[in-house]
Amino acid sequence: MSKNRNAAIIGSGMSEFSSHREDVNQPEMIHEAVIEALRDADIALEDVDCLLHGNMELFEMVHQPDMWHVLGDGARGKSGLRLTTGGTTGITLACAADNLVASGLHDVVLAIGFEKLQEGHTTGGITNMADPLWGRSLQTGALTGTGAQKVIDEFGEERAKLAAMKYRTIMDEHAMRNEKAHRRLRLERQYIKETADNSPPLVGELRMIHMCSQSDGACAVVFASEEKVRALGANPAWIVDHETVHREETMVFGSMLSTQRAAAERLFARAGIANPRGDIDVFEMYDPSAWWGVDWLRDFLLLEGDEHLKMIENDEIVLDGPFPVNPSGGVIASNPIGATALVRVAEAAMQVRGTAGAHQVSKPVRRALASGFGGTLWTVLMLLSKEKPERRVNTHG
Amino acid sequence: MAEETSVPERIVSRQVLAIPQRFSTGPVMGRFLRELRDHKRIMANKCPKCGRHQLPPREVCAVCHVEATGWEELPPEGAIRDFDVVYYASPDPLTGETRQVPYVLCWVDLDGTQGDAPLWHLLNVENLAEVRRGVRVRVVFADERHGTTEDIRHFEIIREEASPGAGTGAES
Repeated sequence: MSKNRNAAIIGSGMSEFSSHREDVNQPEMIHEAVIEALRDADIALEDVDCLLHGNMELFEMVHQPDMWHVLGDGARGKSGLRLTTGGTTGITLACAADNLVASGLHDVVLAIGFEKLQEGHTTGGITNMADPLWGRSLQTGALTGTGAQKVIDEFGEERAKLAAMKYRTIMDEHAMRNEKAHRRLRLERQYIKETADNSPPLVGELRMIHMCSQSDGACAVVFASEEKVRALGANPAWIVDHETVHREETMVFGSMLSTQRAAAERLFARAGIANPRGDIDVFEMYDPSAWWGVDWLRDFLLLEGDEHLKMIENDEIVLDGPFPVNPSGGVIASNPIGATALVRVAEAAMQVRGTAGAHQVSKPVRRALASGFGGTLWTVLMLLSKEKPERRVNTHG
Repeated sequence: MAEETSVPERIVSRQVLAIPQRFSTGPVMGRFLRELRDHKRIMANKCPKCGRHQLPPREVCAVCHVEATGWEELPPEGAIRDFDVVYYASPDPLTGETRQVPYVLCWVDLDGTQGDAPLWHLLNVENLAEVRRGVRVRVVFADERHGTTEDIRHFEIIREEASPGAGTGAES
């Protein structure tokens, strides 16, 4: 499969993220993100050819929410698609937008992800991801302590727990610099151990402090063709490539296929990335908990042994470090699920475009990576660049 | 007329959905549930190409893309591969009842299982310190079975010393 032309992100917007957005209804909340994205791209609604709309229906239990949201997102009379792939929904929207623009079908595509988790039941919604024929009564939403246990078994309790809380604290330090972030706790490094010990346990060694938030919020991102980028004089973050890896099962968490590593291997091979830590400048990771954030860093960056722990211990992943991870504060800070994975792409694009404001990393950003997570351990990866890609190589299929 | 000095009340619409559902299980999962209900047998199916078990069984081997045609009974005993000690008192979304915590979920490699096919269920255990990887457990079947996940009541730890049938009193 080859792609006809380059596509780029030329603008993004986000609503305020909070535990309760009872001040607005769903279309009003989405409107905040859409308006900000159009302003950031310096375009009008008339310039948008197609809208992509996504969330997880089981949270709010609204069928066809895109119909309700038309007045908030401006979709009336326009081409559109609705996508819902669980936690990955947001980045699947970005992949679809890239496909639609790169194929030549549309010139300007607006992707919108949202969730108002307070309007439904988050654990109930996620529990329904379990196979309806076996195990729904056993499922505890997205909560599992197996990720923590894996790191503890491999590196010992003390080092593992310190790494998870160091990661958590760094994410909070980043969130403190992002005014849109939902949870900004002002965690202090000197109290890492006490903070963990005083946090209620959820499952095994996964504690409340490690886990992502439940947020209300929306994100909108504008994708444009190479010709449009030129005509508009836009500031682009070019899409180099994207990759999705699924697993088979709906009910088994085991030590099987790492979709994180599989996606990274494929994407990096196509993009000619031999040394991820050197060739990529910033990574916005969908980190559902501090434990998974720690563990997946190794797989995403194709590291071995304890290299990922050292990156955390040596402050390499901080905002001003050599390999910043989640300058936004990540998913632990803000998690409106249907928007969450699109926020990763938007934040990566902001870093490339230099528009991240107080949480812009200090090093120059040539390439940024964004990931999505969902279902039972699916992975989607998207690679963005400052430089326009020379040619679009895609060796799928 | 009274002057409005505060923020107007924001009316929230409260609704509860209760949806009765009825899923077809199909011939493969249907056979698994039937064997469980009628004979307390745990039947896995098997990929003819790579030989791995699938538990619960699925129509095809997703790795080899071939129909998984073979069936084998697996014994109701095995070793804990992974476990979750759940402290979070979430409401069970299927019943609305708040779950009693802590409770333990485990993934068990039944003896003779080929490949990655751990059986997932509750572990009934008093002392959480006993829950470790590798611990031997057995399936306890429900007295009344209806072809559902609850046909297995839970796993329990196998105690080598305990003589069978002796445990009428309280266990320490």
